[in-house]
Formats: sequence, C-alpha cells, structure tokens
Amino acid sequence: MIELVKIRKVYRTGQVVYEALKGIHMKVNPGEFIAIMGPSGSGKSTLMNLLGCLDTPTEGFYFLEGEDVAGLSFDQLSEIRNKKIGFVFQSFNLLLYSTAFENIELPMLFDGIGRRERRERVEMLLERVGLKEWADHRPTEMSGGQQQRVAIARALANDPPIILADEPTGNLDSKSGKEIMDLFTELNREGKTILMVTHDHGIAGYARRKVEILDGQISTDTPNGFGHPTSPSPESPV
Amino acid sequence: MRIHLLKLFLNESGKRRRKTGLITFALAWGSLSLLLLMSFGRGLSETFQESFKGLGDRLLIISGGQSSMVHQGLPKGRKISLYPEDVELIRAQAQGIRYISPESMTTLTLSYRGKETGRNVSGVYPEFANMRNQIPQEGGRFLNETDERERRRVVFLGWAVAENLFPDEEAVGKRVLINRVPFTVIGVMKKKLQTSSYEGTDAEMVYIPFSSYIQFQENRQIYMIHVEPESGGGAAGLEKKIKELLGRKYRFNPEDTYALNVWDTIEQAQEGAKVFMGIQIFLLLIGSLTLIIGAVGVTNLMYALVKERTREIGIKMALGAKRRHIVAQFLLETLLIFVRGTLWGGLVAFNIVGLVRLIPVDYDFTGVQSYLLRPVFSTDILVLFTVLMGVLVFFSGIFPALRASRLNPVDALRYE
Repeated sequence: MIELVKIRKVYRTGQVVYEALKGIHMKVNPGEFIAIMGPSGSGKSTLMNLLGCLDTPTEGFYFLEGEDVAGLSFDQLSEIRNKKIGFVFQSFNLLLYSTAFENIELPMLFDGIGRRERRERVEMLLERVGLKEWADHRPTEMSGGQQQRVAIARALANDPPIILADEPTGNLDSKSGKEIMDLFTELNREGKTILMVTHDHGIAGYARRKVEILDGQISTDTPNGFGHPTSPSPESPV
Repeated sequence: MRIHLLKLFLNESGKRRRKTGLITFALAWGSLSLLLLMSFGRGLSETFQESFKGLGDRLLIISGGQSSMVHQGLPKGRKISLYPEDVELIRAQAQGIRYISPESMTTLTLSYRGKETGRNVSGVYPEFANMRNQIPQEGGRFLNETDERERRRVVFLGWAVAENLFPDEEAVGKRVLINRVPFTVIGVMKKKLQTSSYEGTDAEMVYIPFSSYIQFQENRQIYMIHVEPESGGGAAGLEKKIKELLGRKYRFNPEDTYALNVWDTIEQAQEGAKVFMGIQIFLLLIGSLTLIIGAVGVTNLMYALVKERTREIGIKMALGAKRRHIVAQFLLETLLIFVRGTLWGGLVAFNIVGLVRLIPVDYDFTGVQSYLLRPVFSTDILVLFTVLMGVLVFFSGIFPALRASRLNPVDALRYE
C-alpha cells in the first residue's frame, strides 16, 4: 500500500543545511497498525508529514497504492489527503468557530459530497464516536477526549484507507487516552491502515508493528504482538 | 467553486463579522464620499447643461458689427446693420438650417389695471421658442404662424413679468397695454434655468409677433438673427455661409471677424461641458482616493486575518483544501467586507441625494445653490462605482488570498 524508497528530506535555512531523513526505506501493507517511535528531533514528525502528503521529499520515491506521489502538485496531493488519508493530531486541530458537525463535514465539502449524504455520514460518525448529542457543540465546549473523538470522526469522513495519528493521546488523560486507542484498535480491525507517531511505549503497544527512527534513519522495525499493549510504561497515561 | 463550499465560506465569514466592523465603517464612509461627490458633480454638470439650454445650446446668434478690413474699395469702420429680408436671404440660400428667426427689441411700457412696468419687448418668429427652449405653462401657447401672418396683437410673457403684472390671477386671456396698444396674453413661459443672457433673462422678457413689432419701430433694422443648424457639427459651415451671403450683400470681407458679431452657443456649450467633465473627473479622483484608503485598510485587515488564521488554513489543507479553495475563501471574505461597507455607504448617499433633491429649485436665483442642490444618482454612476469596487475588491483581496494559499501546510499546522 505504501512504499518509501530512499527518502531523504533536507532543510536549508541560509547557509545551514539539516538532513532530517537520511534515506528511509519502508513498506506498509494494507491493514497494518504501525507505531513510529523515536526521540525528539529523530525525524519521526518529518516522516509523518511526508507520509501524509503534507510535505514532499527532497529525494526518493513515495509509492502510495502503486503511484509515486513524490512529484505531484499541491492540488493533486490535496486530493490524496482528502480521499486517502485521515489525520488525527495531538492538539486535535479542530476549527474553533465551527460545531462538531461542521468540523466532521469539512473533508466531505472539499470532496463535493452532497448535503444529504454529508448529513447521513456525519450523524453515523458522531454515533460511532459516541458524540451523537454533541453535534451542535463547538470544540471549546468539549473535553479533550471528546475533541479527539470529533477529530477521529473527521479523519474518517471520506472513509480513507489510511489514518495518520500524531501523538493522538498526548493531550489526554489516561481514561480518554485508552478510549481513543480502543477506537483506533477497532478501526484497524475493520481494515484501516494506521500509522501513529508516539514516544510512549505503552501507547505504541497497541500497534502491531513498531518502527523506531533515530537520526533520520530507521533503527528498528519489529512486529509488536497482536495489537494489544505489551506492558504500559511507567510514564504511559494509559 | 461548488455551492456548498460557498455556503461554508459565507458561514465562516459571518462568524467573524465583528472583527471587520471598523473597516466596514471606513468603506461605508469612502463609498458615501465617492457617491456623493460623483452625484453632486453630475448634478453640477447637468444643471449647467440645463441652464445653458435656457439661452439655447445649439444657436448661432448673429448681430451687425463694424467692418475692420478694406474690401472692394470700401474703407474699414463701416457699420453693418441687419434687416428683416436678411433672414429670408439666409433661409433661402444657406443649407442645413433647422430654425431661423429675427429678433428686434426695445423697452416699452406694459400696463394692466393701472399697474405699469417698463420691459424689453421682442418681436420674433414662432420658431424662436424652439430655439430658446421656451415652453408655455399649462393653458397657454407661444406665438404661431397665424399670429405672425395676421399681425395679431398677442403677447407671450416671461414668468417674472407675469408674476409682476398678474400676482393673484391667471394671465392668459387678459389684455395688457403695450405703449397703450392692447395685446392679449396668450401664454406665460414655464420656469427654466438660464445663466447666459443679453438684455436680461427670458423670465423678464415680453414676446410679440415680429410682424406686429415692426409697427412700433421707427427704422427697419433688426437687432439679431437667431439660427439653429440641423446638426451641431454643421454650425461652423453655416456660419461661414452666412458671412459669405451677408458679406456679398453688404460688401464686407467674409473673413472680417468684426463685420458681424456671431455668438456660437454650441461651441460655448461644448467648452462648458469639457470644464464640467473635468470637474467630474476631479471629484471622481478625490472620491476614489478616499475609497482607496479604505481598500488599503481592507488589505491590511486581510493580511492580519490570514496570519491569525494560519493554523486554520493548515487544517483545511490537511483535510483536502486546494489552493483555489483558500484563494476563493479570502477573496469572498474581502468581497463581503466591501459589500457590507459600500451597501451602507450607498444607501446613505442615495437618501442624501433624494433629500437634497426635495429642496425646490429657485429659478430666479442662478447662484451656487441652483447648481449644488441638483445631485444626480444615475445608473452610469452606479456602474462606474461597481466597476471601481470590483477592481478594489480584487486588488485588496488577491494578495492576502494568494499569501494564504501559498502557505506550507506543515508550517501552517505548527503555527501558534
């Protein structure tokens, strides 16, 4: 489903050149649940941005469903982000002026889906994440856990095959974190490919494969049990 | 852009309306200034043209002069006088004449029931009214061919004369004495604006048939000949032809500019129109500058909004927004700010113009108020205003919108 070949990402600021990714090779099969781990500055966020088509590599190939997307235009990448990838961010990234309903509806609006279908899908997704009664509430009226569930519903709006989650439980208490991770596990069981950046081993335990990044390179890439947390780490919120 | 995205952007813009309050006011003020300046400028120009029609805006007014060139052995300094048959000579031999009339004038005493007033009485042909835009008030008429042919003793009064002699009664049908000769009033002139005149404005004049007038006159000379060409462009050729005809008859050089005095009101009206067009352009520029200040404010505001909403732009890009969606949203928001501002400005301007136009025109006073109190809110002003708005909306909105659309989604999502 995803294949990264010799991906390099170099940032240049004036005379300063910084190589964030130094030739990444990686394959992701449909239905995988992968935790991408690594210390701060290791390049895991850069890798996630490339995987999410939010950024393009300096060198290398990024095959998404067999197509090299590394050289696509901004609008072509927008199309991919809209239809094939759902994002879940640490800080939720919901539109604060909009209600839960309007936030979830947004990717469908960019996809040109009709009003009736949008309404049906949003209602179904709200029910799915347990927020049926919160449709008309704004993010500022919700708890962190509720906001993250709205964000997950939004990520699922166009039924993308891939979910990219960047520290999805980073801003949540342990109970909400567990609920969110259970939701991811459920989505993965239903066939969604999930790539999740985390520095938390406990959270990473939910994934079935663990990829560790160090200094812009993959240091380890190992299977991770059967999709349940191995042993919650002491600093884990779960 | 799809209709549901338009609705989304409209909805999002509505949520931020409070932030744009001050700039909306600035735009309303700018539009109000621009529209009022344009309306008053147009009113000024139209009132000028209307007042110029009071004398006649397509006329050659010809009177006798003094030769200034030696011609056919005759010395210069000879007085050239015009006679009634000159009118017929011109009518018969010059092409392109729509109307022609002699005018002879003298001051005579008018009296009605013991009230006396000294007035300039003119003898003219019926065509004179057409040339001088003299319209009779309801119930009356101007002199006609029968009056002229039968030398009728009928009189057409300027409205100021009628108000003076008949302050409390209808003038038409009454008999007035002109130098003790009875004349029947057949009409009173409708009020009109008139800035140019000789021997007083038409409001103060008294008109009788030319054939009746010559009975009062000791000699046969006429004061002036009024000629209206069929087209404004034909005036120069007609003037040349008339000078040739009269020059041949009275033996003066047609090139002698002093032999005849020719007052070309067409040329004068054209020159005046140019001046007033210049004034209108000047007012438009002043108004536009005021509005441009508002537009610069909008651009600043939009840049600030783009910065403030950087993260929102990043989120939308992550969810699949294309660059054109971002451009469209910010352009639409700019448009909405303009529409709100200019709508208020336009409404206030429209009402001010309407209220000012309720003030009645004082036809007896042709001072500054006659020009300033006639603003016009016309369609072409609105079209010009809308075009200007379109340009300002585009230039105020496009640069902030492009900046928003060129944001890097990764950087935008990180923006705090």
